[in-house]
Parts: sequence; C-alpha cells; structure tokens
Amino acid sequence: MAGTAIGDANHNRGCTVRHGLRRVLAAALLLFMACSAVAADKLVVFTVNHPLAYFAQRIGGDEVDVHFPAPEGIDPAFWMPDVSEIIAYQQADLVLLNGARYAKWVDKVSLPQLKLVNTSTAFQDQYLRGDAGTTHSHGPVGEHSHGGVAFTTWLDFSQAAQQAKAIAEALARKRPELAAEFQRRFALLESDLLALDSEMQSIGQRARGKPLLASHPVYQYLQRRYDLNLRSLMWEPDVVPGRSSWQGLQVLLREHPAQRMLWEAEPVSETAQRLTSLGISTVIFSPCANVPDDGDFLTVMRRNLEALSSILGPDG
Amino acid sequence: MIQIESLRFQYPSGDFHLGIADFKVASGEKVAVIGPSGSGKTTMLNLIAGILIPETGDVTVDGIHVNALSDAKRRDFRITNVGFVFQDFELLDYLSVLDNILHPYRITGALRLTDEIRSRAIALAEGLGLGDKLNRNITQLSQGEKQRAAICRALMARPKVILADEATGNLDPRNKGHILDALFESVEAHGASLVAVTHDHDLLPRFDRVIDFQDFRAEVGA
Amino acid sequence: MIDSVYIAWRYLVFNKARSATLVACVSLIAVLPFTLDVLLNESERQLLSRAETTPLLVGAKGSALDLVMNSLYLDDQVPELVSMQVNDEVSESGLANPIPLYVRFHARGFPIVGTTLDYFDFRGLQVREGRSLALLGECVLGSAVAESLGLKPGDRLLSSPETVFDLAGIYPLNMNVVGVLEPSHSADDVAVFVDVKTAWVIEGLVHGHQDLLKVRDPTLIMERNDQNVTATAKLTQYTEIDEQNIGSFHFHGEPQAYPLTAVIALPADAKSATILRGRYVSAEKTTQIVEPNEVIDGLLRNIFRVKSIIDSVIVVVGLAALLALVLVFALSLRLRQRELNTVFRLGCSRYTIVRLLGAEIAIILIISAALVAAVAGVVSHYDEQLVRLFLVN
Repeated sequence: MAGTAIGDANHNRGCTVRHGLRRVLAAALLLFMACSAVAADKLVVFTVNHPLAYFAQRIGGDEVDVHFPAPEGIDPAFWMPDVSEIIAYQQADLVLLNGARYAKWVDKVSLPQLKLVNTSTAFQDQYLRGDAGTTHSHGPVGEHSHGGVAFTTWLDFSQAAQQAKAIAEALARKRPELAAEFQRRFALLESDLLALDSEMQSIGQRARGKPLLASHPVYQYLQRRYDLNLRSLMWEPDVVPGRSSWQGLQVLLREHPAQRMLWEAEPVSETAQRLTSLGISTVIFSPCANVPDDGDFLTVMRRNLEALSSILGPDG
Repeated sequence: MIQIESLRFQYPSGDFHLGIADFKVASGEKVAVIGPSGSGKTTMLNLIAGILIPETGDVTVDGIHVNALSDAKRRDFRITNVGFVFQDFELLDYLSVLDNILHPYRITGALRLTDEIRSRAIALAEGLGLGDKLNRNITQLSQGEKQRAAICRALMARPKVILADEATGNLDPRNKGHILDALFESVEAHGASLVAVTHDHDLLPRFDRVIDFQDFRAEVGA
Repeated sequence: MIDSVYIAWRYLVFNKARSATLVACVSLIAVLPFTLDVLLNESERQLLSRAETTPLLVGAKGSALDLVMNSLYLDDQVPELVSMQVNDEVSESGLANPIPLYVRFHARGFPIVGTTLDYFDFRGLQVREGRSLALLGECVLGSAVAESLGLKPGDRLLSSPETVFDLAGIYPLNMNVVGVLEPSHSADDVAVFVDVKTAWVIEGLVHGHQDLLKVRDPTLIMERNDQNVTATAKLTQYTEIDEQNIGSFHFHGEPQAYPLTAVIALPADAKSATILRGRYVSAEKTTQIVEPNEVIDGLLRNIFRVKSIIDSVIVVVGLAALLALVLVFALSLRLRQRELNTVFRLGCSRYTIVRLLGAEIAIILIISAALVAAVAGVVSHYDEQLVRLFLVN
C-alpha cells in the first residue's frame, strides 16, 4: 500500500518535470521507482512460531518480510495477540500456520482464510492425538474433549522439511516469478533439516530402549520419529515441583528407571540438584518455538542434538 | 327602445302559442307587466332577449332586428345589450358572489374582464349591500342577497334592455324597494328600457306604465 | 375574454372530494405501471449485479434459488446446511478460492452473515467507522443496520434466538460492534457480519465456560467419572466474549464438520470453473454447485413473465378506469344542465360548457401528472431501498 502511494507520488512528480533536466531526471526517477517497486513488492509474511519464521526467512530471503510478533519468553502456542497484532496479521500477504491445532489463538480471531497456509497438511493424517484428557458433556453438542493433538510437529525434522516445503510452495504461488529462487533456497534448507534428521536418527539408535524423561509433553514427534523411550511429566523449569510431583516421579521411576531428563529450558538449580541426587541428569532440548536468545532455529537444534548426544555418552 | 310587431310564436311541442300585435318600450321607460301565471309573460321576455325566436313578426332593440341575427351574433347581442334578471336567479353555486357577477365576462369573447370592470362590479355590489359578501359562496347567501347578486350580474354590462322576471318575488317590502331603486337607477343612468314582470301590485305605481298581459296580447292558446 | 380555466378551477375546488378522487384515480393508473417498471428494473439490476459478481456457489442439493437468495441476498429462507468440509474441498481442489458463508441467524431482525475476512475483499466492502473483525464475538455492521439500530463501534448487539421455542440452549450472544461499513448499495448494507467462528459460537458449537475439571461448585456437576464429566444445566456458558474469557472458548469436535449454508467459490479461470463444476455432477454428491447468474436469469425470466401479465391487467384496469372517468364526466354534464342553460340564456354558446369540461380534465391531468412525477421521483430515488424492502427482505 505504502509502496503504491510512493509510486503514485513519484508518478505525479514525474509529470511536473521540466524540459531541460527531463531526461536525466526521468532516468533517475525510473531507477528510483524500480527500487521502490521492489521494496513495495516484498511479501509480508506473518507466522505463528519461530521455526516457521526461520523457514520463511531462509526460503524467502530478501524478497520477504517475515514477522513473528510474539513477545520473547512466551510460549507462542498459548499466546494471545492483541487487536493491533491481529490486524497486522490480517494485513499480511501470507499467514503461515503450524497446523495440528497449534496456537489456539488462531481459532479465536478473524484471519483472511485465503491468506492462511497450514504448513502441515501434508502429514495431517499422521498427527499424534495426545492423551485425550478428560472429556466433558454439556449443552447440545454432547461429549467432547479438549485434550488435543500434539503440535510440536517440527521436532520431527522430516516433518519440519515438509512444512518448509509448504512454505516454499506458498511463497511461489504468491511470487511465481521467484519460484525457482525459492526452490533453490528451500533445497538448501531441506538439506540442513534432513542432516539434522539423520543425525537425530543416529542419536535415536544410540538411545534405543534407554528410558528418558521429559519435563513437558512436547516431544511426541521427536519420540515417534526417533524411537525414543520417553515419558513426559508436567514440570515447569522455573518452578520447583511440589511433594506430590516428586512422589509421582518416584512411582514412575520404578517402572521407567530413567537417568536422563529432557527440559525445554534450564530448570532452577534446586530442581536440577534434586534430580541429580536421584541419579537423573538434565539435558536442555529446546523446541525453539519462540525466538531464541542467541542463534536461530538451526543453531538451537544443533545445540539440542549435541547436548543429547553428549549426555548419552560415546557408546550410548 | 324595444319594438315588437305582428309577432307570432309557438313552442315546438305546439302546446302553447302567443301573438303580440304591437309592443313598444321607449328608452328610459319603465314598464311593468302583470297577468296570471301561464299567460306568456316570461315567453315575451325570452323573445325580446332573443332566447326564443318568433315564427313570424319582428323584434327590434335599438334598431337591431334581433331575430334576423345569426345564432352567434344573437348571443353576443344578448350578453352585451340585455340584462336579464331570472325568476330563480340562476347563480352558480361553485362561484363566489364576485365571480358570479363577473361570470359573463369569463365565458364570452364579446366582453373583456378588466380591472375597471372588476372595480365596477365591486362598486355595484357595495351599492346593493353585498360589499362584505363578495367572497362568500352563493350557498351562504339569503334569498334577498342572491336576488341582489343576480341583479348585479344583469346590470354589469350597462345593458340597453333590462328584463326582470319576478325580480322582487319572495322579498320583504324594504328589499323590494332597494331592488327597484337599483333597476331604476340603471335605467336612468344609461337610458335603458325596463320590462319587469311582477305580481307585486304595491310596486306598480312606481312604473311609468303597467300592462295587463291578459288584455294586451293579441292571441294566446294552449 | 374566456377564462374557462379559472371557472373550471373554481368548480374543482368547490367539489373537492370529487376532484381528489379523480386525481387519485388518474394518478394511480399512471403511477402503477411506471413504479412497477422502475422497481423491476432496479431489482433486476440488484439481482444481476450481485449474481454476475459471484461466479460459483456450492451448497446442499435442493433448491438452487433458495441457495442463491440466501447467499447473495441474505434471504431468510435457510437452505440445507453443508459442512466446513465443503469449503476445504474447494480449497484443496486448487481450482478455486473458497469463501464460507453461514447465513442463518439474526440480530434484531437483521441477518447475521458468518464468513471470513476474504468476503470483505471479495465484495469490496470498506470499513467506514471503527475496524474490521479481529476477535471472536465481534461484529461489523452494514451501513443500513448501523443507521437503523443507531449502533456504532463500541456498542453491543444481541443475537436473536433462532425461534421462540428454541429450547436447545442456544444462548444469545452479546456481540461487540467493532465497525460499520461504507454503504455498498447491496444486501450487505443490511447485514451483520461476524467471523464464521462467531456464528458457530451463536449456535453453541464453539463455546466458553468454566473449566469443569477445576469447578468447585458440586451443583454444577451431574456426573463425574474417570473419562467424563457431565455438567448440569446450571453451568453458565458465557454470553459475551471478552479478554478475560476468550481463552476458554473452544471448538467441539472437528471444525471440518461445522455447518455452513454455502461456499462461494472463486475459480482461478474459466477452465478451473468448468472442471470444478464437473466435480459436482455426480448423483451421489449431497452438494451442488450453481452459477448464480444462471439461477437469477431464470428467476428474472419468470418475474418478467409475471410482469407482462401484470402489464396487461394494468391496461385492462386502466381502460376500465378511463371508462369510469368518461362516465363521471358524462354524468356531471347532465348534473350541470341547469348551468348550461344559464350560460346559454346569459348569451353564450352551449359549447362553452364543453370547454369548461375540457379545462377541468386538463387541470386534473396536470395535477395528476405532477403527482405522478413526484411519486416517480421518490420511487426512482429510493428504488434501491424499496426493492430491498419488498423483494429481498
């Protein structure tokens, strides 16, 4: 919009150009208009989490303007944008959704359907229906549950690659003239993701059968893809778990004698120490849903894999 | 000046005929005609006005042979020279008093309605005591007022001949006097000839001449 | 000087009731066909312009006309419902862009149109005041709705229960008015726009309430076991959506199964349109695809067939009225025999009375013409609103 306005203004200015300087000015003007046209032509892409934003930026390069406006430190899955942020999403050229019912807020706001791209439709029949939770009945609809679908789809890096592919295709639909360039950049990204996938597969092999714990049920796809023997708790990194939680852990450890526990973020030291006393070492495996403090999606994932790999030991 | 000579008239239905050998009214003369109903008095007035045409004989008004005129000319003659006060007023309900008085001026090309005519109408109506009723509807007037409005209409064009058919009927004596005054005044002012059919014997002494129609007519039959 | 007009005018004024009746009679006869013509032309314009700009419509099998009238002109007749699946099918076909429509509920007499923001772009609807839809529970009003209900952004608008006997527990939703649209001179002016998800909230499919697992009040719980908690009717569902409770609103079941009245399909090109149409030919399909233009064309053909019948009726009625007028004048000529005599005896032609009558007729015709022109002016000026009043709603 703004770009068009600039173009119009330039056009009007062009009309008033005087004879003498006409040629020079006209040439300069054309150049300027061409530049501003390119700037204006930048695809505005909004996403619902950092991985998608990272993929879009990698594929789109300078041709796209990627925004992911969730504030830092918040889990985007449970974020609720305010009205001005929603309007910003509405005005985007593309809104990239994760699918798998990720980002509940999407169901509670109005977004232009034709600009929405669900990046995980390619594998939507493989969504993991998590522990269904308790169902409830009231009103005309009958029994239903809010226990949901596991949504951290990108921790299966082959799925992440498919999501990236969906982004590449969506960008190409919007800018067919750049399709080849998008495809080239996607191929680079895909090879990075598939490298992560094969590395993680070998880690999975080394971890085969070893009982693992997770502080939170966010690793379902990681577990499935890489065949991890993982059980999830509901522990928060910044809160020391209460007595009943510790008791629950003791019970769990009897049938699932895990010595390693995956955390989304560094747990408070009290928790870590107590876990150590139980013979459980902690390892940070960040899903990287929000923008990381340093690095990007790829570096965070590499760090995750390194951490996991090192804690498993050389022989696994 | 009115002159009738060797006149014979018969209605197309043939049930009534009238003959007048000789009848004259000079300019400025006021003649009263009396006689019983059905004796042919109104018929004679209609013959003078050119409303009826005699079979034979001649009607002359101021030298104009009325029955020799074409229909159109005779109508123009009537509207410009004859002031007729009809027995039952024949005013139009839907017009105001002033519009009734001016009515002849609006329905013929022979008369012209000017501002002067309009002021004359107002003056005439005021003279007859209708000054405050000019814009009233006819239906709102008393019998006497209707009669006066009809007289105003008859006198408006300052006619050479004034024909009044029971002009004072149904009126109280004071009103009768006013009506007669107005008619006589017009006769005197413009040298008209007045023929008034009346049953009012009290008024007869004021006329120049009284004709008893029963004695006067040459022949009448049914 | 002959002043027939003046005398005729006095006559008409004196006989006010008769004159008014005559004027009314003449005006009506003239106004009827004209008005009918203007209104039909305007309805044709409205129907066609909207039909022409709506390439394809997918809905349940059944009356194509009901489907089009509901989807394009927001008619109260709700067609059989389809599911959101239909929308997704169109989208996944890659042949056309879908815009879902759920035109079923009302708010204070105005239709609630549940759709997506794409509808506004598609119809070129601009927000005049406030903003467009952003959150669940918000509505944007067509200009005529805002004017008629005196609402502006910041106000609230309560949805109406579907029927008086609606016992199924569809709670009215107190919607937030966030915007008012520019007039579009179409049915959109009389619509209350909500996100299709908000329409589902009105239906109770998407709802918000306290978390049953955390409920402390035992009277709210009818039955509780390991797998299920059944709430009593005492559990209040939120009838307004605000910042505090929006988080508790949730879908029941698969959104793909949620109802719609129709899906507007915007095909990429003529070829895509043809291919897409082909996919709905199958007899097993419970859905149909229609081209609104064709449906409206058929409707218009019928309307104009009816119009030609009405036209001939008007001609007959007009002739009858004309005869009645002739009779009225003939009778008045007889009633005025005495006047005719007076005029003759005063010294003017009997023909004058004919001229008076002529003047009367002329005056009546002129007044009628003025009246007809006034009515025609009003009708032409408000044709749009009138058509919407009579034809569409």
